[in-house]
Amino acid sequence: MPRNRTVRLAVLGSSVQKAAASGYPSNRSSALRRRLIVGGLVLASLVLITVSFRSSALDGVQGTAADAVRPFEIAANRVARPFRDAAGWAHGLVKAKSENAKYRREIAALQQQNLLDEQAIQENVQLQQQTHFQGPPSVKAFGRVGTQVLTNPQNAIDQTVTIAAGSASGLAADDVVVAPNGALVGTIDKVWSHVARVVLLTDEESSVTATDLTSPSAVGEVHVGSGSDSELVFDRVPKSEYVGVGDTIITSGNLGKGSLPSMYPRGVLVGTVTSESDTDVNPFKTIQVQPAVNFSSLQTVIVLVPPR
Amino acid sequence: MDGLKAAVILFVAALLQLSVLGQYAPFRTGSLVLVVLLALALLRGSVFGAVAGFGIGLLLDTATLGTLGITSLLLTVAGFWIGRYGETTARDRFHAPYLSVAVVTVLFAFGQLVLQFVLGEPAPAGLVAHGLPVALVFNLVLTLPVYALVRRLFPAPEIGDRVREVRLLG
Repeated sequence: MPRNRTVRLAVLGSSVQKAAASGYPSNRSSALRRRLIVGGLVLASLVLITVSFRSSALDGVQGTAADAVRPFEIAANRVARPFRDAAGWAHGLVKAKSENAKYRREIAALQQQNLLDEQAIQENVQLQQQTHFQGPPSVKAFGRVGTQVLTNPQNAIDQTVTIAAGSASGLAADDVVVAPNGALVGTIDKVWSHVARVVLLTDEESSVTATDLTSPSAVGEVHVGSGSDSELVFDRVPKSEYVGVGDTIITSGNLGKGSLPSMYPRGVLVGTVTSESDTDVNPFKTIQVQPAVNFSSLQTVIVLVPPR
Repeated sequence: MDGLKAAVILFVAALLQLSVLGQYAPFRTGSLVLVVLLALALLRGSVFGAVAGFGIGLLLDTATLGTLGITSLLLTVAGFWIGRYGETTARDRFHAPYLSVAVVTVLFAFGQLVLQFVLGEPAPAGLVAHGLPVALVFNLVLTLPVYALVRRLFPAPEIGDRVREVRLLG
């Protein structure tokens, strides 16, 4: 720009520069295109959230898509299994020596306990027959569907697992799910034809009525503790009841008041009491329970199917 | 071609995340998918990152039978934002992938928490905050090999490929 420019020149220069600035159609159009694409994707996500959360309109599509992904998940599990087994074997080998002596002592104690238990079971059966006892359904009354876990919880918020069996195998919502060792895992939340979603006992909205095996009158409610996704709390147990550390907690399977019986059968293992205390301000005991199952690494589960 | 490659690598990452890493509590806190997505977004830009984020988010929501759209929304925004960062200031900077992964890991965790809270679902902030340091370390450890692999699979485009229009001056 010449130093001795006139006002007219300056104005012209300005207008020329503006024209030049508007001469980047590609930049502007690409910015517009970028914003449109991202805006569209965000809008699509919000629509999906709204529809998926408020209605079951997308359940069919989601179930079909999940069915399509299922073979890949099963294949990935199968590929990973030898490595997982090898890691488990190596880990077990390190601990095996120290655990050997401990388990030998436990076996001796359990053999004695087993004899007493068998006598008690026989007496129990005889007494039930004599009194025509009508109690809650036991685990034996339920059918069993064993299935593979497809996905475990993906983060601290997610307390669900997906399993590779669905309504085609006879499963329905609210069916109880246990681990291969018989310990309670959770309940089925949603069912598709070949997959289902299980809400774990560690979900904030899950709870189960339970009792102490050695002190059956101590009935309360087991739910997840605050601040941890692996520790359970045995709540609402009156202070007058005795619950000791090391006691086994099982589902109580209450019959309820007629129309609302517990959906859990009696006698499903929940966990072991790790601590017990009383406080003056709480009318109930403070009892912590270590679950009998590792919720974060489930590989197979058993669904208890009630007789329908 | 890039789109197909990205789809395959994200699908494999999602399968690994869902079926293998998800079974171990320490690995569960991190996210292989997130690291792969951010590497792709850094190398291929905002639109690519956003579209990839939306697609893989939808797959994750479908596979876990969760509420559709939650992961899609978060990963779309994450892919777009880191893609813009890559397009503008971060290209070829050594710290860019680490910084991106660290920032997005934190924001993703809290974004998920906020969405859960807004939807009226359980949103345990304490648990999320407690698991965040492990997630951060895990994702940062993953960044080096994942970014190197993704960079090898998605080499920077030649200058001739990047320039779409030439304006002659003077």
